[in-house]
Amino acid sequence: MNSNIWILTSANAVTIATTLILAALGALFTERAGVLNLGVEGILLTSAISSFLAADSSGSIWVGLLVGSAVGAVLAGIHAVLTVVLRANQIVSGLALVIFGTGLANFLGKPAEGKTVTTIIQPLTFGPLTRIPVLGPILFEHDIITYGTIAFAIGSAWYLFRTRPGLELRATGDDPATVDAQGLSVARIRIRYTLLGGALIGLGGSWLMLAQSAAWHQAATTNGIGWIALALVVFAGWHPVRLIFGAVLFGFCLRLPFTLQAEQITFIPSAFMQMLPYAATLVALIALSRPGSKNLRGAPKSLGNPFVRDER
Amino acid sequence: MRAPFRIVFEQRSETPKYLSAFVPLVSVLAALLAGAIFLMATGYSVGETYSNMLQDGFLSSRGLTDTLGLSTVLICMGIGAAFAFQMNLYNIGGEGQGYLGMIGGAWAGLALGPHLPSVIMIPTVLLIGAAFGAVWIFVPAFVRARLGTSEIVTTLLLTYIAASLVNHFIYTPNSYFRAPDVTFPMGRTVPDSAKLTALGDTRMYPTFFIVVALALFLFWIVKRTEFGYRIQVIADSPRAAHYAGINARRTTMQVMLISGALAGLGGATLIVGEFGKLDPGITMLGYGYAGIVIAALARNNFAAIIVSGILFSGLRVGGDKLQITTSTPIHIGVMLQGAILLFALGGEAFRRYKIRTVRMQAVAQ
Repeated sequence: MNSNIWILTSANAVTIATTLILAALGALFTERAGVLNLGVEGILLTSAISSFLAADSSGSIWVGLLVGSAVGAVLAGIHAVLTVVLRANQIVSGLALVIFGTGLANFLGKPAEGKTVTTIIQPLTFGPLTRIPVLGPILFEHDIITYGTIAFAIGSAWYLFRTRPGLELRATGDDPATVDAQGLSVARIRIRYTLLGGALIGLGGSWLMLAQSAAWHQAATTNGIGWIALALVVFAGWHPVRLIFGAVLFGFCLRLPFTLQAEQITFIPSAFMQMLPYAATLVALIALSRPGSKNLRGAPKSLGNPFVRDER
Repeated sequence: MRAPFRIVFEQRSETPKYLSAFVPLVSVLAALLAGAIFLMATGYSVGETYSNMLQDGFLSSRGLTDTLGLSTVLICMGIGAAFAFQMNLYNIGGEGQGYLGMIGGAWAGLALGPHLPSVIMIPTVLLIGAAFGAVWIFVPAFVRARLGTSEIVTTLLLTYIAASLVNHFIYTPNSYFRAPDVTFPMGRTVPDSAKLTALGDTRMYPTFFIVVALALFLFWIVKRTEFGYRIQVIADSPRAAHYAGINARRTTMQVMLISGALAGLGGATLIVGEFGKLDPGITMLGYGYAGIVIAALARNNFAAIIVSGILFSGLRVGGDKLQITTSTPIHIGVMLQGAILLFALGGEAFRRYKIRTVRMQAVAQ
């Protein structure tokens, strides 16, 4: 058995996990405020192509990442206006965003087909650390966004559970009436975190584009990662640190089919390997359900419910 | 710094009838307007794009029959989505249930077609397709009813699994569903007894009328039967339903299974109709996702779904032909679908609430 391939798979798992963590963190912040944004897949796609076009025309990766994040925030802004201000159904609005985003991304991507970005984000160098057998390539050959993302996820846990604004955010998702009674604006908090969430998802999409694929391919760029990110939030029980481990696990599942193919392990049809991450998520979701309650473990208690003061 | 006025939402006790038709109409126009601005900003011709879409989607006789033909599967997906949505069950996996309907329909056609006459085969293919769709939603329905697991993510994940299944059946050498004599991987066409003939020189099949009749039948079920009433009570107030002795678990199972079956039926209409075989191209078409939009735009009203289904079908048919007639990317069609739904959602607020601006002093605490 070729150990290099397994090391490469693990390293790739960390790479994919970066997008997953960013997208899932975006969803997590949004959901912690009580807003369910199912539009992740649409936002990822649109920000991916926007960042590509921006990086291509400006020649700078960083401009690309910035534009991608901004586009993510704008799309999430549509969702925020519809659901928080106009009190539309969050589920339908999110799905509309997926369809709109997919169409928009493919429309914008038309001229980009077949192009590639020339500059890529270079991995950081850790000198001798990279040469540690096995662990070196897995842990120490990534770029600054990957490390930044993991640090940000850990920082998010601290923010959520140890600071005053974090407490207000969690309260808005659990019991908006109390937040309202404290004199805080539920709508404002929800809009703020929906926008932040959109920017994070957008950054994830941009990074996926610029650091990983580097060429726009309309069908295969995201490949359902947005939906996996949403499942990942549930899997992690709405906790940012558990998100990191979940994302690496999911990333490994996503890479495994390619590795098994390379290893010529063929007694399992490749279609069934493609199903693996989705099936694993499905099993995890069912296993984490609590009988008798609509809320999953750790779910914000008023997730998906619009807050209407005069109805109290 | 606060605004000198605030916006007040007043719940309407009764929605004026004209608004129910007016709001969707305005949303469509607003989406077209937004699309026009977007087209101008990206340097494409608005007039050329829209007039071509209108011509190829609705006005030419070829376009209109193509639109009605495509609307068959879209309406079917729409009523499937709406059947679950009306009880606040968000089955967004109609796409995958549709694939299973195709697999089931193709299997029935290939296995039984050579032995049975058309009169028996057509209903068999449709029913087995529907049954396969119901099977595909069984696990999400069961865990939703028993454990409360959110059906949104589970139904969607199963769509990806269903797509892999379709690919497996087509790309595996010597697969039962694969055309045997060609090296290029493609589906094996079902025997003639399992296929309907198109109406005249069109791409419309008699299934269109079956699906429209089914939509009207469901409209009647929901408005006029005890089963429909049960669904409404659970949707409006689960607690009231509980005290009224309605078994919500069982109704949840029933509603979700029917929803899956309708989506499966949609897939099977493609077997007796346009495709005639299991075709991996289905995974690129997104009919199931379009069904969600169609249902939402019609606000889960089964009669209105016929209209919104035909409208969306026309947008697709007209949009897809843009590739031939203009330089505008065909994806403008999908974009417009999403935009229409977004505007319709925003417009919903005007239907449910009276929205007024009030000077700040008037509401000072």
